[in-house]
Amino acid sequence: MATELKSDAIFDLVRRFLETDEGIKLRKKVNLVYQFNIAPKKIGIDEVPYTLNLKTGEVIKGPYEGSKPDATFFISDEDFVKFIEGKLNPQIAFLRGAVKIKGSMSAAQKFSPAIFPKPSKL
Amino acid sequence: MAMRDLVAGGAACAVPGSSSSNPLGALANTLLGSSSKTQERLKEIPTATATSSENRFFQDVEDPLRALPGAEFEQQPFSHPGGQGSEFLWGFRSTDQNGLADAWDEIERSHVPRPSQANVPQLDHVYDRGPQLQPTVYGPPQRVLSNFLHSFVESSHGGIPFRPAPLPLLGLSEGDKQCIRDRSSIMARHFFADKNEDFINAQVNALLSSLDIDSDAHAKGRLPRRFRDLEDYWNESQGSLRPGPHLADGWISEFSQHRLDHSDPDAWAHAFERQHGANSCVSEFEQNSKFLQFVSKMSRGELIIDDNQVKPAAGPSDWATEYQQKYTGGTSWADEYVRDEVSHGPDRWVNEFATEREQNGSVDDQWVNEFSKLHVNDWVEEFGQQVEEGALGDSSADAWANAYDEYLNEQVAVKKQSEASRGVYVFSDMNPYVGHPNPLREGQELFRKGLLSEAVLALEAEVLKNPDNAEGWRLLGIAHAENDDDQQAIAAMMRAQEADPTNLEVLLALGVSHTNELEQAAALKYLYGWLHNHSKYRTLATTELANSLHYANVARLFNEASQMSPEDADVHIVLGVLYNLSREYDRAIASFQMALKLKPQDYSLWNKLGATQANSVQSADAILAYQQALDLKPNYVRAWANMGISYANQGMYEESIRYYVRALAMNPKADNAWQYLRISLSCASRNDMLEACDRWNIDLLQKEFPL
Repeated sequence: MATELKSDAIFDLVRRFLETDEGIKLRKKVNLVYQFNIAPKKIGIDEVPYTLNLKTGEVIKGPYEGSKPDATFFISDEDFVKFIEGKLNPQIAFLRGAVKIKGSMSAAQKFSPAIFPKPSKL
Repeated sequence: MAMRDLVAGGAACAVPGSSSSNPLGALANTLLGSSSKTQERLKEIPTATATSSENRFFQDVEDPLRALPGAEFEQQPFSHPGGQGSEFLWGFRSTDQNGLADAWDEIERSHVPRPSQANVPQLDHVYDRGPQLQPTVYGPPQRVLSNFLHSFVESSHGGIPFRPAPLPLLGLSEGDKQCIRDRSSIMARHFFADKNEDFINAQVNALLSSLDIDSDAHAKGRLPRRFRDLEDYWNESQGSLRPGPHLADGWISEFSQHRLDHSDPDAWAHAFERQHGANSCVSEFEQNSKFLQFVSKMSRGELIIDDNQVKPAAGPSDWATEYQQKYTGGTSWADEYVRDEVSHGPDRWVNEFATEREQNGSVDDQWVNEFSKLHVNDWVEEFGQQVEEGALGDSSADAWANAYDEYLNEQVAVKKQSEASRGVYVFSDMNPYVGHPNPLREGQELFRKGLLSEAVLALEAEVLKNPDNAEGWRLLGIAHAENDDDQQAIAAMMRAQEADPTNLEVLLALGVSHTNELEQAAALKYLYGWLHNHSKYRTLATTELANSLHYANVARLFNEASQMSPEDADVHIVLGVLYNLSREYDRAIASFQMALKLKPQDYSLWNKLGATQANSVQSADAILAYQQALDLKPNYVRAWANMGISYANQGMYEESIRYYVRALAMNPKADNAWQYLRISLSCASRNDMLEACDRWNIDLLQKEFPL
């Protein structure tokens, strides 16, 4: 557990969230499959893939087993957390190369921090 | 290879056959370069020569190769004409939809120049990806031009004057000719930098007349001035590799000057040479590629610059064919760029770029390598399609342009953040309590009254006076945590720990803050430290365990401790935090509830319970717990913010806004809350208030969203 990514906690939260009413609403609205390749430090190195399947509500630590995710994001652990907290603007992140995108651009644009639940502070 | 290398010439860039080790500068070599590298540069940036110009090349010219001038002193171009010619001509292609991606792949794959044989299969591969590419490229006329130009290059080595000779009509378009003229002039300038100007002009003229290109009097007249500038650039770039703001400024002013030079696309490319600063290159390139799309959008007529605003033009268009058409016209993309109709755009970009440079932190240039590993193909295609379908909407271009402002703001915020995250405490400016006779007592009093931000100031005054005051630092840390600022809390607590390494409250607080920051390893360390330093339980904590902390072991120890003393609320609290780390939320809730039975007036404990419930998505219960906490401590900023989160997570955005605003009214420095407020405002479709949010206009927000 010591080598766990911060993003792990976020995805866990998302997984629970997708089972709630609000989460189900979101799934219906977006209805896409995303994959996130989260890198501990630098993008592309030691990536951990997570699949966020809004069609089925699954959140899996692993690559998408189906045909192809609608969009794949390549981002670092820290930046992903910032993204969820709304501290990283998607366009700016893209311009700076803090996030790389593969797949459908429109699908990628539907992903925004608003759709993610936020962690609460002890 | 990094952008830096592109400009300044890294070790891998030493291309034999080129007198300069500046590959980007050798952009001018687009027509003349024989190495695959320069052709890749060409592919990156759409050039003047068009795809369809090849058709004109395809004329019936047999074997002129032997008759070419300059052939007498080198044999190379003839030895493998097919490979070189096709490579070279491939370089003539404007980038099609896949071209950009291909270019990247090419760059990535060839860090060192390879023999042409190796390149050919690469090209075949690349070839296959482009259905628009015509199979006629291998025809002889291309070879003519290629070898002719190649020999021009080679002539530079011997310093032997290049002899003009009539060539068969190659059917170069006007645009092509201009391109060749400009670029060969610049090229010659570089090659013959040590020769005098007459020699250079003679060489160039020889080349041009052979190709039946008018050495335009206009262009010639401008040669000296233009190239003197470029010569300066060149020398500077050779001389120093240090980045300097003055260079960028110089470039920017130069650029503004040259902006109106319509037939001077190369100045821009050369000006780029100067951008060899450590960090700027990559970010420039990032902007460049986004910019590239922006420009290509403009060239497609989908965006118009109208009075300093970018607007999308009406009507979709077939991206691919229009793109081809545009380049059939033979105008360089850079020409279009400097055309009048876009005169406002570059200014703004340039200015913003200047400011951005100064503020830019370190940008990883591995990005270039990594980016190329992706199959950008798909994305580029999709992007083109999306634009066609108008799916991106009006906002994208505007948003891109506006993104700069946000970026600048963000940079400031990020800098502040990164300082604190490194454990460096950030003191407030203008602290009225500095000089107070007893700031610690004042701080404690203020804290008790619930005036957290004031207490922070007083306590800062205290620790400025007495930097080793553990209690001062501890209370400061607690105040920050309650004010919902874990970064500062950690920084203060670290100082407290330095001053008093065995203080249990400090250790627990550090454990909690790190848990909030999702830094699990650190949190575990501090919670273990709590056990280790506890008079009662330290027997449980063996030292070898300390070296390899595993969550499971630590939890087990704490369970043992709780069995030792079931009435010790603190043990339950620590257990609760531990279970949060492992996301065993039910157990965490149970632990906190046990602790609350023992300490029902502990507001912070209610908040912990609430947060645990919220994180296990039991938001309704969480809100009840937060309410208890707030009843006990009305100014508990963290609880207010957590309330907002729980409402937002349930989709109740209007309510969440009110709670965030209340939290921010008490502590305007609560960064998280600002971001969440912004998100909630847009989710609640209250975009009218977004500006107030961005301007930190708490008064207006409070008036609008009272509780």
